[in-house]
Amino acid sequence: MPRLRATVASFRHQAAMFLAEPQWLIPNIIAPFVLAMVVLMLYREPSPEAVLYAVLGGGMMGMWGNTLYASGFSIQSDRWWGTVDAIFSAPSPLIWIIGGRTIWNAFVGIVNGLFVLVAAMIIFQTPLEVADFWLFMLAFVLTLLSLAALGMLFSAAFVLTRSAQVLTNGLEFPIYVGTGSMFPIFLLPYWTHPLSYSLAPTWGIDAIRYAALPAYADGFAAGYWGDILYMSILALFYVTISIWLYKAVDHRARKTANLMRY
Amino acid sequence: MSENVNNPLRVFWSSAVLAKRALFAWLNPAMWIMQLFGMSLFQIAFFVYVAKFVNNSEVTIEFVAIGNALQSLAYVSVFAVCNITGEEKNQGTIENLLVSPANRFSVFVGRAVFQIANGLATVTIAFMYAALIFNVDFSQANYLGLAMVILITTFAMTGFGLMLSSLGLFLRTSMIIANIFLFIGLLLCGVNFPVSYLPGWMQPFSYAIPMTYGTEAARMAVEGASLGELSGLLGAELLVGFAVMIAGYLMFRWFEYLARSKGTLDRF
Repeated sequence: MPRLRATVASFRHQAAMFLAEPQWLIPNIIAPFVLAMVVLMLYREPSPEAVLYAVLGGGMMGMWGNTLYASGFSIQSDRWWGTVDAIFSAPSPLIWIIGGRTIWNAFVGIVNGLFVLVAAMIIFQTPLEVADFWLFMLAFVLTLLSLAALGMLFSAAFVLTRSAQVLTNGLEFPIYVGTGSMFPIFLLPYWTHPLSYSLAPTWGIDAIRYAALPAYADGFAAGYWGDILYMSILALFYVTISIWLYKAVDHRARKTANLMRY
Repeated sequence: MSENVNNPLRVFWSSAVLAKRALFAWLNPAMWIMQLFGMSLFQIAFFVYVAKFVNNSEVTIEFVAIGNALQSLAYVSVFAVCNITGEEKNQGTIENLLVSPANRFSVFVGRAVFQIANGLATVTIAFMYAALIFNVDFSQANYLGLAMVILITTFAMTGFGLMLSSLGLFLRTSMIIANIFLFIGLLLCGVNFPVSYLPGWMQPFSYAIPMTYGTEAARMAVEGASLGELSGLLGAELLVGFAVMIAGYLMFRWFEYLARSKGTLDRF
């Protein structure tokens, strides 16, 4: 229970930090929003299906942008503020503290993703009509959780480096490309497909498209529920690795004593 | 000592040297190289595959690859340069810098010098990707013209980044502005589709950003246009580059005044 209390406190703290500076939502929204607009401009006169396809990709990118930046800055900000050693010296393991932050960031990610969806719908005057609303929501939320799990994995590695900001910026486009957020991954070179399949959001966006697009023809053979299954397995795998990684990182950070360096 | 402070060239050079040292004091060179080689590759790849999927006959793979190769400069010349003032705030050095009698223009342009070199390297690598990975045909290219385009665009976009950086003096962070302008160029500057696709009221904004002229000139240079044919676009880009630099300097003085009078200088 004390560990759970640490997670709740961390969640509340992250919420307070966000509400004190909500403008941080802008950087996470702007990239997916602009990218979705670029794709729609490329279509010139997009069909409602094309709009929905691009907007769904934009929503997924919005969630990833938020998760990635939140993970990247999770510890980096503590370095700047001089609070990182206090977090590490607390009796609760780091994973429970980061867990609280991740849950809050996932919640903001939903807002972020929905904002991109709704804004694009208003601009292109296409109503958000998904084929199966409840399957869509299930896939949307699970994709967000899988992105949060991936973010946790990255954030563990970010603890060790002073260059988390550089890594954060550098990981935005690779995930957009690798997951096929705006195009089917069969367009990518064949040798990259295993990398794409190892990313849970690749399955997530496919499941979202299955649920949203009535005549979705480019989907994986696994189908909607297969996508959900593979995404869940991969997300659980990420969480397991994260737990192990956080222990290793905690140990290493104490040993090298360079956590405060920034 | 005061002679040194009053010599703008010396201030400029020491600011440039310090900025480079400060960057590599925290940034691992291996990480910098990874960023140099990685950023443009994935940006070009993303839009090339989108263009393949959309299959718009007016927007070819070459169009998108060349546009994004040049636009990859924005991460360095807009994002990094725009963050100069914000980073001084984060490091707690902005007050010391502003109480010094050194010429502001020399200090902040000096800070951006390494990013100009970084930008030139980034774009050169990006054009190599365009040729080697995305099969853009450079057989007719005017390499001297292309080099001029890259040089002038880097200079002009760094000026644009410095102009945005002045906002960082007054706002709590410049990173949000940096993020907005890092991506907005993809929509406004003819990087992924012709500017004529944009609604009429948006097009003047496109031509207020130097990158718009650069992307058009780069495509012409790859198709083999002579320096004479490029001169109109490059002249316009230089003009816009100087205009944003002058505007940036004036904005800098104004925001410095505001930040001092409202006591927001060290707020971040």
